[in-house]
Amino acid sequence: METEAAQQQAPRPPAGLGELFWGFFTIGARAFGGVLPWAHRVMVEERRWLAPAEFAEILALCQFLPGPNVGNMSIVLGRRWCGLPGALSAFLGLMALPFCWVLALAMLYAEHASNPVVRTVVTSVGVAAAGLFIGTALKLGRPLARKPAGVALVLACFAAVGLARVSLLAVLPVAAVLALLASRRGWL
Amino acid sequence: MLELAAYFALLSLVAVGGIAPVMPEMQRVVVEAKGWMEAEEFTQLFAVSQAAPGPNVLITSLIGWKVAGIAGALLALAAFCLPAAVLAWGVGSLWDRFRDAPWRKVTQRALVPVTVGLILAGGYVLATPAGLDWKNALIAGASAAALYFTKLNPLWILAGGAIAGAVLYS
Repeated sequence: METEAAQQQAPRPPAGLGELFWGFFTIGARAFGGVLPWAHRVMVEERRWLAPAEFAEILALCQFLPGPNVGNMSIVLGRRWCGLPGALSAFLGLMALPFCWVLALAMLYAEHASNPVVRTVVTSVGVAAAGLFIGTALKLGRPLARKPAGVALVLACFAAVGLARVSLLAVLPVAAVLALLASRRGWL
Repeated sequence: MLELAAYFALLSLVAVGGIAPVMPEMQRVVVEAKGWMEAEEFTQLFAVSQAAPGPNVLITSLIGWKVAGIAGALLALAAFCLPAAVLAWGVGSLWDRFRDAPWRKVTQRALVPVTVGLILAGGYVLATPAGLDWKNALIAGASAAALYFTKLNPLWILAGGAIAGAVLYS
């Protein structure tokens, strides 16, 4: 449901490279706990570069493509609006500040890594973050719960890569073929 | 370092659904195959990348940094993003043509179980840097449950993990 105000104000692409860079910079700068919600907020709500439906569509494309989703989004949109310079400025804008942040944090940690308490706490944060992965997988996989072929594929991928530690490059082709066959038969 | 960059470039193209599904593979290569760092260190870098704001693909730059300093950080990030970016560049204009093609829906549905299995594997591998132990299992289980059942901001869940770790291991 779109509000009247949103309908009256048609989306308008960024005016130039500067605005493009700055917009993506603010996305990266504020992206605590996930980039995607901020990408939506900045591009759809604040700057009105995109209509909500357009955003959803570009997102679908970028989730379909391999690689970092929001990074791909910066490339696709930057290109659409300002060609190669646009793709570069959007991507660099998105990554610039988070890159510095994460390195600064890692260096800060490295300085205190000899402290066993700090080490334990940081490892525990990593373990908690790993738990977030598990929670995300459960959420994504919920629609599969009643599809035996889906559950079997999930477990097989988990066992091969997580337990047996087989290379992804060996697992992926097999899993992809099996999943495509199952999907074509309507099992997924 | 060039070896790492080439490998990341390759992974970039199979990273369906973002970086999460290739995390277990990165850990396998960096820790088990190459021995560039310990499993515990890898989980710690993962912690830093998740607690810092920004795209979670930045874990690649931390791995690069550990292996070869700042230049390594830049190179690893570029290696992981560039091939996918080139693909996105090329496909971006074709998308309108195959957006509604039936094979796209088939492919998208096929990707779900594979991605879910791989993300689960990543969670398991990163949560067990020192093998299975009940304290880490408890922290990971609690954080998975918190994400699944509540709408808490993930940052609070990470903070909870820090507190739980400090208490459990003191």
